[in-house]
Amino acid sequence: MTDDVWDGDEAGTGRLVPLYILVNGRTSPRAHDLDLATQVFALPVDTRRLEPEYVEIVKICANWLSIAEIGAYLHLPLTITKVMVDVLLEQGYLGIGSPAQEEIADLRLMEQILAGLQQSLNARD
Amino acid sequence: MHLDRKSVKIVVAGGFGTGKTTFVGSVSEIPPLTTEEVLTQASVGVDDVTGVEEKSHTTVALDFGRITISPNVVLYLFGTPGQDRFWFMWDELAQGAVGAIVLVDTRRLDSSFPAIDYFERRGIPFVAAVNRFFGECAYTEEEIRGALELHGNIPLLWCDARDKSSSKLALIGLVRHAMSRMPVSA
Repeated sequence: MTDDVWDGDEAGTGRLVPLYILVNGRTSPRAHDLDLATQVFALPVDTRRLEPEYVEIVKICANWLSIAEIGAYLHLPLTITKVMVDVLLEQGYLGIGSPAQEEIADLRLMEQILAGLQQSLNARD
Repeated sequence: MHLDRKSVKIVVAGGFGTGKTTFVGSVSEIPPLTTEEVLTQASVGVDDVTGVEEKSHTTVALDFGRITISPNVVLYLFGTPGQDRFWFMWDELAQGAVGAIVLVDTRRLDSSFPAIDYFERRGIPFVAAVNRFFGECAYTEEEIRGALELHGNIPLLWCDARDKSSSKLALIGLVRHAMSRMPVSA
């Protein structure tokens, strides 16, 4: 993408490519339903054309993982994680679960949460 | 394409040192994680970061954990940032959340005021949970309610944030409270 030598702010992080270049200068995700709790997972797609930073995301999403977890495991700031996940979603590398920031108006979902918590309480370890 | 996978959020709030991270850690099925948001110069003008004007960026750390509810529902618990000034992060955490647990330290009741105020103003369901970690509480429920100016319909619970079952009971209390506020038409 670029041969420029970067020795700015991020030199100390061991990262060769500044994050803003990785995300093509995007500052916010295109899709607005990307919440930090939204979960994504890797679709069975050839990742050889991806930059290593993107491959890392696809790799750790073999099971469903939230944006917050991806950021925490890969030590990426949340906004960058969101934009990178958005790029991967757009290009068909990841599948996405229901947006987490939708108003919960579903009593059945709440009952499910309640039952799940009670069950985990009884099955205390 | 949205697949059959649902995330739900609960916010764990309270003043500095009220036990938010302890609470998240005791109920989470994974060791609590920390994710960071970097505030750049561009956001300094809109966020109140008084006192850190000289820095070109500031990092806000968020502690969180997870509880698998069912094969396709995962509950994420997010502790609010330690510094109350990062309200914009609260907005993202609170958006669509089931509700919030506001932890209360009876030695410093006032440190939980901003959190109570925040959720009250936005109509987000919350419960106040007195963290017993700090020893026997010298006040009655009425006294604490009065001091926190808690409305009668807001549950006041007792918990020990270090104890998994006790913390889970607080979560159950919150979910019940949130359900009681939902329309019954469905």
